Amino acid sequence: MTLFRTLRRWQLLLLLASLGVPIVLMLWKPYVLIEGLQRGGLYAVIALPMALILGVVGIINLAHGEFMMLGAYFAYWMGVYAGLDPLVAMIPAVVAFALLGAITYVLTIRRALKAPELNQLLLTFGMAMVGAEFANLMWTSQPLKPHLSYVYSSMALGELRFGTYAFIYTAAAIVLLVLLHLFLRKTRLGRAALAVGQNPRGARLVGIDVNRTYLLIFSVSIALVGALGAMFLTRHSVFPSAGSPFTMKSFCLIAMAGIGNLPGVVWGGFGLGIAEALVSSFRGYGGWADVVFFAVLVAVIMGKSYRRQTA
Amino acid sequence: MRMTRYLPYVLGAALAALFPLFSGAYLEQVAVGMLIYLTLALSWDMLLRSGQLGFGTAGFFGLGSYAAILLFLNVGVHPFVSIAFGGVVAGVVALLVGLAVLRLRGMYFAITTLALAGIFAVVLRNFPGLTGGSEGRMLPNCIYAGNTTKIYWLVLALAVFTIVISEVFERTRIRLALTSIRNDERVAKSSGVNVFKYLVFVFAVTSAIQGLAGGTYAHVFGFVSPEGSFSANFLLLPLAMALLGGVHSTWGPVVGGLVLGALSEYLKLQIPYGHLLVYGAIIVVVTLFLPQGLMGTVRAWWRRSHVTRGAQ
Repeated sequence: MTLFRTLRRWQLLLLLASLGVPIVLMLWKPYVLIEGLQRGGLYAVIALPMALILGVVGIINLAHGEFMMLGAYFAYWMGVYAGLDPLVAMIPAVVAFALLGAITYVLTIRRALKAPELNQLLLTFGMAMVGAEFANLMWTSQPLKPHLSYVYSSMALGELRFGTYAFIYTAAAIVLLVLLHLFLRKTRLGRAALAVGQNPRGARLVGIDVNRTYLLIFSVSIALVGALGAMFLTRHSVFPSAGSPFTMKSFCLIAMAGIGNLPGVVWGGFGLGIAEALVSSFRGYGGWADVVFFAVLVAVIMGKSYRRQTA
Repeated sequence: MRMTRYLPYVLGAALAALFPLFSGAYLEQVAVGMLIYLTLALSWDMLLRSGQLGFGTAGFFGLGSYAAILLFLNVGVHPFVSIAFGGVVAGVVALLVGLAVLRLRGMYFAITTLALAGIFAVVLRNFPGLTGGSEGRMLPNCIYAGNTTKIYWLVLALAVFTIVISEVFERTRIRLALTSIRNDERVAKSSGVNVFKYLVFVFAVTSAIQGLAGGTYAHVFGFVSPEGSFSANFLLLPLAMALLGGVHSTWGPVVGGLVLGALSEYLKLQIPYGHLLVYGAIIVVVTLFLPQGLMGTVRAWWRRSHVTRGAQ
C-alpha cells in the first residue's frame, strides 16, 4: 500500500515537472525551451537504439556513438560522390549499417555473449577505438559538413524568431519511440525480442531462435544509428571523436530511465537537452553545459544505490 | 636457494638501470615513453584485479599533469614536490568519485570513469586564468634541462615504484580481499571483507599512481593542454598493453608494456596517423581470442608441458 502511494507520488511529481518546467521556461527563457527540445530530441533519438540493444541483447555497446559517427561520414561521402542529400542518404545508410551491424555481431558480439560483463565492455570499447581511429586514418581529424540551405529555415511567433529545422530531431525521437513501441508489441519479431530480453532461456524453451533474435536486433539498432548519423550530419559537422560524447550521454539517459524503459529515455533526453540549454544560456558559463550529463549520471547512480540500500 | 630466486629480478633491475650506458638518446626517449605507459598499464590492471573496469587512466593522468604543472608554476616548489602533489590531487579526486559511484559497479562504474577525462578537460578549460584555457600552460624549461639519461632514471624510478606497490598488493592480505571480490562479491562480503572500502581504497591508490605518471610526463615534456594531457592515448595504449601481456598479475602488464612499447615505436614510423587503430584492434582480438594474454598463455603451456613430462 505504501509502495503504491509512493509510486503515485513519484508519478505526480514527474507529471508536474514535465508540465511546470516548460511553462516556466516559456515565460522566462523561451529560447532555452526551443533549443532544449531540439538538442534533447537528438540525444533521445540516438539513445533509443542503444537502449534496444541493452534491453534485448543485454550488452552495453560502447561503440554506439562511433557507429553514428561512421553513419555521418557515410552520408557525407554519399553527398560528395553520388550527390545525395544527407536525408536521402539515410536510406542507403540503413542498408549498409544493417550489414555492418550483422557482420560485427557475427564476428565479435556473438562470441562475447557468454563472457563476463567486463569482457563485453572491453570488447565494445576496443571497437569504439577501432572505429574512431579508422575515421582518423581515412579522413583526418578535420571536421566535415555539407552545405545545406534548408537547415536555416526559421519562423517567427510574435517577438520570437527561431530556427525550425532542428525540430526534426524532436519529431524523430517521438516517431522512433512510437515505431519501436509498435514493433515490440505488435510484430512477431518484436515480441520474441521482448521475451528474449526478459529471459533468454525461457525464450529458447518456447521455441524462439535466441541467436537469430540477437542478430536481428543488433543489426536493426546499428542500421538505425547509422541512418541517424546521416540526420545528425544535416546540422552538425562530423569528425572522428564526434561520436564518443553520444555514447556517454545515451548511457546517462538509459541509466536515468532504467533498462527497458524506452519512453523514459525520451523524457530524459528532453530533460537533459533543456538542462544543457539552460546552462548555456547564462553568459560566460556556456562551457559548463558539457558537465551536465556527468552530474546527472553521478546523481542517478547515487540515487539508485541509495534506493537499493533502503529497499 | 633464496639467492637464485631473486636473481632474475636483480639482473632485470641492473639491466634497466644500466640501460643508458649502452643506448643513445633516441633509445632513452623511446624507453621513457614506454615506461610511462607501462606504469599506467600496471595501475589499470591493479584496479582490474578487484573486478572493476576503470576507464579513468587518461583522466587521472591529465589531472596529475595539470596539478603538478600549476603548483610548480604558481608556487615554485621543487619538481618532485609538484609531481607528488599531482599524485595526491588525482588520488583525492578518485576517492571522492569512488565514494559517490563505487556503490554501483560494473558498467555504471566503467562509463562514469570513461567520462572523467572529458569532464576534467572541460572543468580545466573553464578556468582560463589559472590553467591557460584551451592553450594550456608551458614550462620555461623541462626537468633536468632535458637530459635524457636523468629523465630515464626518474621515469624508471616511477615504474619500479609502481611494480613494488603492485607486488605489495599481490603478496599481502589485499590480494585475498581483491580476488574474492572479483570472484564473488557476496561471498567476499559474507566472509567479512568490506567490499566498498577496499574498492574505494584501490581506486584511489591506482588513480594516485596515474596522477604521479601524469605529473612526471608533464615535467618531462614541459607542457599541459586539454587535448594533449587528456588524450585517449593514455587510456588506449595502457589497456592494450595490459591485455596483451595478460591481466591480473604484475608481470603480464610489464611484459605487454615492453612488447607493445617497442612495437608502437615501429608502428608510429610506419603509419603515423593511424597507429592507434592497431591498439584498438589488439584490445578486440585479445578479449575475444586470448583472454589470458601472452603471459597467461605461456604459463598454461609451461604447466601443460611439465604435467605431461611428469606423467611419463
